[in-house]
Amino acid sequence: MADAALSRSLTTLAWRCGRGAFALYVLFWLLFLVAPIVIIVVVSFTGANYMLFPPPGFSLKWFAEVASLSWFRTALASSLIIATVSTTIAVVIGTLAARALARHRFRGRVVVEYVVLSPLILPAVVLGFALFNALVLLRMENLGLPNLIAGHVLITLPFVTRSVWAAMAGTDIALEEAAYSLGADPRTTFWRVVLPTARPSSIAGAILAFTYSFNDITISIFLTGPSATTLPVQVMANIEYSADPTPAAVSTVMVGLTLVFFLLIERTVGLKIFTER
Amino acid sequence: MDDPRRPATAAWLLSTPALVLTALFALMPSFHLLVAAFLPVNGSTPTMTNFEALLDSKLAMQAFWRTLRVATATTVLTIIAGYPLALVLRKAKPRLAAIILVLVIFPLMVSVVVRVYGWLVILGPSGIVNKSLIDLGVIAKPLALIHNEIGIVIGETQLLLPYMVLSLVAVLQKVDPYLEEAALSLGANPIVTFLRVVLPISLPGLMSGILLVFSLAMTAFATPLLIGGPRVPLMTTLLYTYVFTSFNWAGAAAVAVVLVILALAFVTAQRLVTEAGLKRHG
Repeated sequence: MADAALSRSLTTLAWRCGRGAFALYVLFWLLFLVAPIVIIVVVSFTGANYMLFPPPGFSLKWFAEVASLSWFRTALASSLIIATVSTTIAVVIGTLAARALARHRFRGRVVVEYVVLSPLILPAVVLGFALFNALVLLRMENLGLPNLIAGHVLITLPFVTRSVWAAMAGTDIALEEAAYSLGADPRTTFWRVVLPTARPSSIAGAILAFTYSFNDITISIFLTGPSATTLPVQVMANIEYSADPTPAAVSTVMVGLTLVFFLLIERTVGLKIFTER
Repeated sequence: MDDPRRPATAAWLLSTPALVLTALFALMPSFHLLVAAFLPVNGSTPTMTNFEALLDSKLAMQAFWRTLRVATATTVLTIIAGYPLALVLRKAKPRLAAIILVLVIFPLMVSVVVRVYGWLVILGPSGIVNKSLIDLGVIAKPLALIHNEIGIVIGETQLLLPYMVLSLVAVLQKVDPYLEEAALSLGANPIVTFLRVVLPISLPGLMSGILLVFSLAMTAFATPLLIGGPRVPLMTTLLYTYVFTSFNWAGAAAVAVVLVILALAFVTAQRLVTEAGLKRHG
């Protein structure tokens, strides 16, 4: 009897230890996921003149330094312009394509799908090099901003198309039918029924696309030149050539902006857009 | 096929701007690269010269095998780390699950450059890991954790772990909790229940996660460039070096073709897995 009770409590103990170990294991990987980001943010508030973790003291001097850097202001401005323009183009054009993909059954639909989503399939380095190669052949490689915008449309367009398409496919077609039967013409139906019902997910998709454009390095690095560059490209160059925490402070600004976009998505549609397929 | 109220012409009109832009900025340049890969530097008849040059180059072959090694190691690590995370996400109380989801998804949105920079600070010769180990007296000289494959794998694992977790969460949320409870109440212990009930149902998600992570690991760029450097090239960074350092654009085009073939193979495989999964579960 006592043996049975002992073995039962040993089993319980073993389960508890196992669960504890499992929890620690999962905690380790969660820390692993956030560690590089947290460390850069913490280091950027250092009072020292070099990268040191943990910082010997805290100050905002590297942010003051960054604010006075002309390359930072120029690159931030171009990054914001590129992300805004390419996302806007993607939203307009992608919404139209998404409408065709979500509601029309036509021959060649698969072709449209594959062509529009092809930038997601092709590796980004290949896209960057291919576009750069074409621009060199056309002697247009030094145009700067327009080239970067063209490249970033390739990041944002398939992304926006896919999320608007999913949003439209998820809405009830009966609503549209009702609008038609009540006498609304196709255009009115599109503006007053189709778009509003697909709006929250579409906005979330657009914010995500903007974020990816803003943070992109792979395509941008092939298209930047003396006349235009982006924030991630500049940070990358500075990581390689400077040992002071300037790039860390710029990184913190980028993380801060990304956090704003993340919270916007979380507040508007929730994080379920990431987990639902 | 064609619905009279939603005519095909309208569909084509709606898709035209997107098709034109993608063709202009992505497909035509890529196609041009494909053609360039088969043309010798000063010739016009297609040859395999550029690919033969890759096969003859020790650096290129090393980069090819290193790419596969790094992608395999990264995929294995994301499974080892990601499966438990996905299980916890599924079982945790809503509050805790929400926090974990934030910790998984937010890093996904942060710029790769920032994350790689973080790894350089952590793993560098005077980084956090080496300093702590030296202070503790575990090692005398710093370990080489960057400028090698170990560093690249660590960086890529952090980069791609969220994709694995999200692929698994997508299928695990479809596992009927009653199925598990039934197994448990019939006397199966939690481990057996996991192996016989949860794991089989999650296999399509695991498979698509593996394909996704492996293909993204093969095409990752900023991580191998900053952590590995030009001396430890993967295929993507080799392409970059060919373009900007050795100006071997024909070689770069050939590398690009290899990368595209691999990417297409993975997309096709993923499509097949998804369709098989859909068929099985209706």
